[in-house]
Amino acid sequence: MSPARGTTGWGMVLPALAFVAFFSLYPAIDSFLLSLYSEFPGPEPAFIGFGNYAELVQDPVAHQAFIVTLGFVLLSTTLELVLGTGLALVIHERFMGRGVVRAAVLIPWAIPTVVASQMWRFLLNDQYGAVNAILFGDRVDAYVPWLADPWMAFGAIVLADVWKTSSFAGLLILAGLQVIPDETYDAARIDGATAWQRFWHITFPLLKPALLTALLFRTIDAFRVFDLVFVMTQGGPGDATQVIQFYGYKTLFTEGRVGYGTTISVTVFVATAMLSLFYIRTAGSKLLQREPA
Amino acid sequence: MIPTSSFPTQSPLPHRSSRAAWFFAAALLFNVPTAYCQDVFAEPPVSPPVTLHFVTWKADHPQAWNEAIQRFEEAHPRIRVKREMAPHSSTAYHDLLTQKLRNRESSLDLFLMDVIWPAEFAVAGWALPLDTYFHQSEREKFLPATIASGLYGDRSYGVPSRIDSGMLYYRKDLLEQYGFSPPSTWNELARQARTILEGERIAQPLLRGYSGQFKQYEGLVCDMLEFVGSHNGSFLTEDGRRSNLTAPESLRAVRFVREQIIQRLATPAALTYQEPESLAVFSQGKAVFHRNWPYAWGVANNPRHSKIAGKVGVTTLPRFSEGRSTSALGGWLYGISAYSRHPDKAWAFIEFMTSPEIQKHFAIHASLAPSRLALYADPEVLRANPQYRELFPIFQTARSRPRTPVYPIVSHILQRYFSRVLAFPGTDIREEAEEADAKINRFLTLTKEARP
Repeated sequence: MSPARGTTGWGMVLPALAFVAFFSLYPAIDSFLLSLYSEFPGPEPAFIGFGNYAELVQDPVAHQAFIVTLGFVLLSTTLELVLGTGLALVIHERFMGRGVVRAAVLIPWAIPTVVASQMWRFLLNDQYGAVNAILFGDRVDAYVPWLADPWMAFGAIVLADVWKTSSFAGLLILAGLQVIPDETYDAARIDGATAWQRFWHITFPLLKPALLTALLFRTIDAFRVFDLVFVMTQGGPGDATQVIQFYGYKTLFTEGRVGYGTTISVTVFVATAMLSLFYIRTAGSKLLQREPA
Repeated sequence: MIPTSSFPTQSPLPHRSSRAAWFFAAALLFNVPTAYCQDVFAEPPVSPPVTLHFVTWKADHPQAWNEAIQRFEEAHPRIRVKREMAPHSSTAYHDLLTQKLRNRESSLDLFLMDVIWPAEFAVAGWALPLDTYFHQSEREKFLPATIASGLYGDRSYGVPSRIDSGMLYYRKDLLEQYGFSPPSTWNELARQARTILEGERIAQPLLRGYSGQFKQYEGLVCDMLEFVGSHNGSFLTEDGRRSNLTAPESLRAVRFVREQIIQRLATPAALTYQEPESLAVFSQGKAVFHRNWPYAWGVANNPRHSKIAGKVGVTTLPRFSEGRSTSALGGWLYGISAYSRHPDKAWAFIEFMTSPEIQKHFAIHASLAPSRLALYADPEVLRANPQYRELFPIFQTARSRPRTPVYPIVSHILQRYFSRVLAFPGTDIREEAEEADAKINRFLTLTKEARP
């Protein structure tokens, strides 16, 4: 590459770099710096090094929030990938009205999460909720206050997330399906492979890069879940649905503990970054580089 | 989703030179013609009108507020009031307001403070001390509990706009039908409710004994304060230095709520209720007893929103046989931002809004209970709110939640403790209380150390 071409190249990426530096890098670094200060009522924040991180490691509420978050991530991403694969297989087939179905599948994903969460809160209401009406009809005395039970409230949040984002996973997987050449299936059919064998020996292995991408996106997103909890349960009952981001929000914005709150968000940031690296390094590097020829 | 990396874009650290740079950039960008302005308006004939920025919530009775502010602007033609609407929930309002104050926004002049905030706002330096404006002779005309809630140290930071306190609503018709008079103890309430539920089992299978606020949120702290307080317990020790949740009185009160209220009279559904949901259960005729603030009287007696209008009674909250009736103090205070450029004008607004005339207007048109003592003898106020005769003693003795600059932290610890023991029936109340005690003590000590 000639020096002149290098300069032009840098000149062209500069706006993008400046954008990323200003809107991603600067806030990330600033957050990290803030997390080194202790913030209490009173005007003077004190520099305490990694004191907030030491506190986080010993904070039982944070531990519980991490466990709740991990449970949420595991359950919701697993369900979303399974359902998403099913969705993708269906809308990959040719049938009457496929365009309409493809569009319809995406509707939950297109609804803003806050609106969807409010909708689920109404659906699960103990007095007039549609879920109770469908399950129990006129037997009003059997109506269940779904969000009052710690386990069911947790399940409700997983359910709402699965409902909302399975189609997103499905869309990514559909893209993976579309690059698998039809000839492979024709060849398998001639060799007498059953539908299950075709799925297990052709579709699934060739779909792995798309599945991995979907897994990566969904894990990161699920790790940062906030709005569902904020609207549906406020972390209750008894902190059973308090995910780590909501705990961070409470300490940062309500309690005004800026240092500790940013420590939590920096930790979430590092955790998701490490998760992404882990995915890409272990399974991803080979799969992502191998072009389906 | 809130992106992880951009959580606190606004830095609370003082002395940021970047702020000046931003201002400069903005001035260049929007071409603020400072010099030009000075030339044209070198000697204005009259001072330009001042606009006061008032952060408030979306009111239940917007018409009453619009009218009050319009009357102020008519009385003060050189002052305009621009309202900024924040969420109605106290916690959400707090988060938005403190964010603005942390950024030292000078375009914010006035705000409303929940009674639990003055300590926090005072220590952070956000609220202007009002001692030079709000004189002792004037303070004596207000309900003492409301004045006390605006004090931190010996300075006053807020002028009470009204008073809120917890009270017991009941179904007059059902109690009469079963020959009961309003209960004075919690056990009596439980007995009456059980008898009525038993008797109405066929006719009204959905009737519950009690409806209150037990979701994990600020309201839970108020409801539990009333149970604990009426069993001679308290959240903090008398000197306010240590948490007192493991005292046997408060443990017994919490156990009563778990076993009698949540598991029997209210049903666990109450664990999802804030004020509106619990009031809906009562006004739909599905609860015998209901705990709420004074505003519920108007709603429960409004035939358009309520199936039990005219069948509602209200009285002081019950006590345990070995305690005194305790009612949580709520309500809102007017405060002036320490960063306001127009504190005098802001005071004129507060003075007007808390005047007898305007409080009377709010009492009659918005059923907000006045903070001024004299209005409880005002025939017009009493005609619109006959229940005030009965409630006046409650207003005088309402108990405040802990007064500490770390109240939001203390409240979160209390919310977690109460919500856990109520939602997980298997938890050991004493163990949970010990954990909460230790955490609260830690933060109380930290603030003690932080200040001289």
